[in-house]
Amino acid sequence: MITFDRVSKRFGEVVAVRDLSLEIASGEIVVLLGPSGCGKTTTLRMVNRLVEPSSGTIRIDGRDTREMDVNLLRRSIGYVIQQVGLFPHRTVAENVATVPRLLGWDRARTHRRVEGLLDLVGLPPGQYAHRLPSELSGGEGQRVGVARALGADPDILLMDEPFGAIDPLVRGRLQDELLRLQQVLHKTIVFVTHDIDEAVRLGDRIALFSAGGALEQYAAPDLLLGAPASAFVDEFLGDGRMVRRLGLRRVRSARLRDPDGQGVPATAIDADATLREALDAVLGTGDGRVAVRESGRILGIIDSESIREAVR
Amino acid sequence: MSTVRYILDNWGTLGPQVETHLEIVAIAMAIAVAVGLGLGIGSARSARVAAASLAVTSTLLTVPSFALFGLLSIWVGLEDPPVIIGLVLYALLPVVRGTLTGIRAVDPAVIEAARGMGMGGAQRLLRVELPLAVPVILGGIRQATVMVVAIATVGAVVGANDLGQPIFSALYRSTATTPRILAGVIPVAAIGLLADGVLSLVQRRLARGRVAVGAT
Ligand SMILES: Nc1ncnc2c1ncn2[C@@H]1O[C@H](COP(=O)(O)OP(=O)(O)OP(=O)(O)O)[C@@H](O)[C@H]1O
Ligand SMILES: [Mg+2]
Repeated sequence: MITFDRVSKRFGEVVAVRDLSLEIASGEIVVLLGPSGCGKTTTLRMVNRLVEPSSGTIRIDGRDTREMDVNLLRRSIGYVIQQVGLFPHRTVAENVATVPRLLGWDRARTHRRVEGLLDLVGLPPGQYAHRLPSELSGGEGQRVGVARALGADPDILLMDEPFGAIDPLVRGRLQDELLRLQQVLHKTIVFVTHDIDEAVRLGDRIALFSAGGALEQYAAPDLLLGAPASAFVDEFLGDGRMVRRLGLRRVRSARLRDPDGQGVPATAIDADATLREALDAVLGTGDGRVAVRESGRILGIIDSESIREAVR
Repeated sequence: MSTVRYILDNWGTLGPQVETHLEIVAIAMAIAVAVGLGLGIGSARSARVAAASLAVTSTLLTVPSFALFGLLSIWVGLEDPPVIIGLVLYALLPVVRGTLTGIRAVDPAVIEAARGMGMGGAQRLLRVELPLAVPVILGGIRQATVMVVAIATVGAVVGANDLGQPIFSALYRSTATTPRILAGVIPVAAIGLLADGVLSLVQRRLARGRVAVGAT
């Protein structure tokens, strides 16, 4: 667990983070969201002490981070940045081995760890281990960045807009992979983004900041979208609020209708699809009715009314 | 032809002069690289150190070698020592500037990642900054070496028995003037080109994956 206790950070006259109190539970993905310059990066970098707070205390599992040796602290926390920052003169394998080497792991253990990590992020070691970073695509580079951050199996992973520079298609895939990884790894992940969709998709909770580094709301995505705590939150989340909420719900959670006498429509959607996808399908049909299917069986019919009910 | 004949006939004298020349340059460059790297690293860490070392080393380069060797010989005596010291002073600027430029050219994201993973200052320097800066540093060393190989000839005025000897000896004679001068100049040029070639080869070898090397 990471605890911010009344933490502020000033750079001269500029207040980057204002009196922040926040608890990040173990095993959760917490997204720091907000407009440019609202202090997301500063907040993140205070966790591994790349920035020292002007006042207040940050604790990890109850321990004040200032009491720890700064380099040992950083080796125990994974850190991923948008520009990746792979060592260009080192191979992929050597990059991933960075923290294990700093910690003095023996060769065999490091080697096993590196191979395991490359497999984990979907880069077959046989194919990628000996490449130089210049021989990777942006998406592959960021996968190596994530593998490197996981080097010594840290409990905490800090990610600063890791997919920000990657094209939307690959970004979506990397987001899915991160969620898949998280199901296996159960890390405490602090993830910075200014992309609302990314925040909603990844976050167990979202901390929304406004300019001047003030925390506006800290809540699960569904609650944030459903019940904005302030005018700022409402405005920041914008017009897509309800549609984005639909993205969080599964079709199976909606109250489905019986086929009645109208018969089963030709268009069908999987019960595990999101309501957002269902709305898209409904809008695309002639009569606004879509069949809901689960392993070949029809569960019922979904239409715009049942979608509306689901988010009311 | 007469030059080749002259060189062959006088190899007994020229051979040791080539040797001394190489020795003076090698010692001077070894010292200059050690000191220059130190100053360059210091410069990369502190703007004040950078300003001071660049100012001093570039001023040194403006002192005529004749005068510098002369002055130094008053303090440290004749023959090799004043020449070695003088050459070190001349070689500093390219080495310092190469080190500073090379370290500064390292992608800030790479440094940020290194810090974030818990590399201390010395580890960052040895494992990241210097390895990445090596091609640029070598460029500076290359420049300095070529320059120093040529300037070393002036060392003959304070009695160093190097390839400046045949050149200066020509100034006091009326016979075989050209062959004498060329007997000094040709080996100097050969040494300079050879050093440049070898260093540029090493530089290119090491450039793979590292900071791009400009056409130095
Ligand atoms: N090292 C620094 N020196 C001075 N001011 C800084 C420094 N780092 C950040 N700031 C200022 O603090 C404020 C918050 O910056 P921060 O980088 O945390 O914002 P951010 O939310 O990450 O923005 P972005 O979405 O653009 O990355 C900004 O006004 C910024 O200019
Ligand atoms: Mg930022």
